[in-house]
Amino acid sequence: MSLLPLERSRLPLSWVAAAACLAGCGGSQVIVESTFPRPLIEPLPVSMGVVIPDELYNFIYTEDIPDQSLWTIALGDANVAMLGPLFEGMFQQTKDIDSLAAAAADSTLDGVIEPKLEKFEFDVPQGERDEFVEVWLQYEITVYEPGGGTVIQWPVSGYGKSELLRNAEDAVQRAAIVAMREAGATISTKFSEQPQIKTWLGGIGNAPATVGPQAAVGGPAPADAAPTPLQ
Amino acid sequence: MPQLRLIAIALSVPLIGACGVTARLEPYKQTDAVITEGEHVVVLARKQHSTHEAEEDFVQCLSDGLADGKHGLDVHSSKDFEDKMYPWFEPSTAPLNTDDLSVLLARPGVAEQVRSTGVRYVVWVDGSTDRVASGGGITCAAGVGGAGCMGLAWWEDDSRYDLTVWDVKDAESEGTIYADYKGRSVMPAIIVPIPLITRPQAHACRGVTDQLRQFLTSPEGYSASPPPGVG
Repeated sequence: MSLLPLERSRLPLSWVAAAACLAGCGGSQVIVESTFPRPLIEPLPVSMGVVIPDELYNFIYTEDIPDQSLWTIALGDANVAMLGPLFEGMFQQTKDIDSLAAAAADSTLDGVIEPKLEKFEFDVPQGERDEFVEVWLQYEITVYEPGGGTVIQWPVSGYGKSELLRNAEDAVQRAAIVAMREAGATISTKFSEQPQIKTWLGGIGNAPATVGPQAAVGGPAPADAAPTPLQ
Repeated sequence: MPQLRLIAIALSVPLIGACGVTARLEPYKQTDAVITEGEHVVVLARKQHSTHEAEEDFVQCLSDGLADGKHGLDVHSSKDFEDKMYPWFEPSTAPLNTDDLSVLLARPGVAEQVRSTGVRYVVWVDGSTDRVASGGGITCAAGVGGAGCMGLAWWEDDSRYDLTVWDVKDAESEGTIYADYKGRSVMPAIIVPIPLITRPQAHACRGVTDQLRQFLTSPEGYSASPPPGVG
């Protein structure tokens, strides 16, 4: 799957919104940018439609912290950069679609996945003894059947911290990237362990006990493999 | 004025003696394995703790130190290794012991990916540098006749690190290196503040790097070298 063709049409909107806000707001501005790796897991043998809502592309978090400054944190590009390779690694086939309605007309899809960034929190230390910037975020991953029925609404959170050195903006950026990688790790390793997903996979003829993202690439996972060995 | 100079000198001598670094290094190697031509080592920070984590620049200092010099080792980039192994070396998924490592390596594709990086040894770094004590004070004043400071400030930093070396080929622990470097800095102010600063983290990096190099290149039971540059 490539998110780029769809992304291009929306990217200008994202940049205009971010630039307008960043130029006008003053205070502390962070545009989170990074490359994210494709997960080393065996993809589920399903064809998934991927809906990336505009709010995710254009996600900008603002918070006026008393005694500090107005913080503006843009995560849109990072969301796309993280979720693209993640879903490519998780599913055998992926296809960008604009909406759920478009999925209903596509008989090649086994399901549709729609991520949203529901919550974002961060903390920049003020005291002398606090050394870490912290970021916590929560995605909501919704999986639909092609007909529109909801399979699961799954909240996935990620936490990241980063040492506060000279620049608080850099530290926020690094902590956000750690939090996003954490969320991506949870999505990719725990997706097929969700009971609703197991049922859904069983319904479309794919047994989750033998095939799942928790198995790494290179061959089928053993049938008796523990689902979460790295507790 | 000469009297003032004499007082300054008299005060400075014990103060200079008071600042310095004390070091304790305890290597423990339990196998005869040594790194050979073509095998790489990667240095990773343990990130599971909520209150502390090894500083990025300390991990980088160890990596650079191991790779440096005529007898430099092949050191793999930490970031590149974490990306290639994603999502299995993130804070929530990284193996905590060699049993976890065995389970991870048994996953299809993981051992092959590790082999492709050339990494034979993973060095986990746990610990941090913290300010453990401080005291004193400096007062400055300015008037028509001039300005000046009087007083004495001091502080003590403790660099405490635990390194664990894993052989990822045989999924076993090679041993540990414990390092504790304490450094006391003082800043007397007689007209002007004179900072006499010690950096235990930098000393720890040099000492641990030398020890780690010896650890990886010498068989079991090697004798630990004394911490360099400590006084």
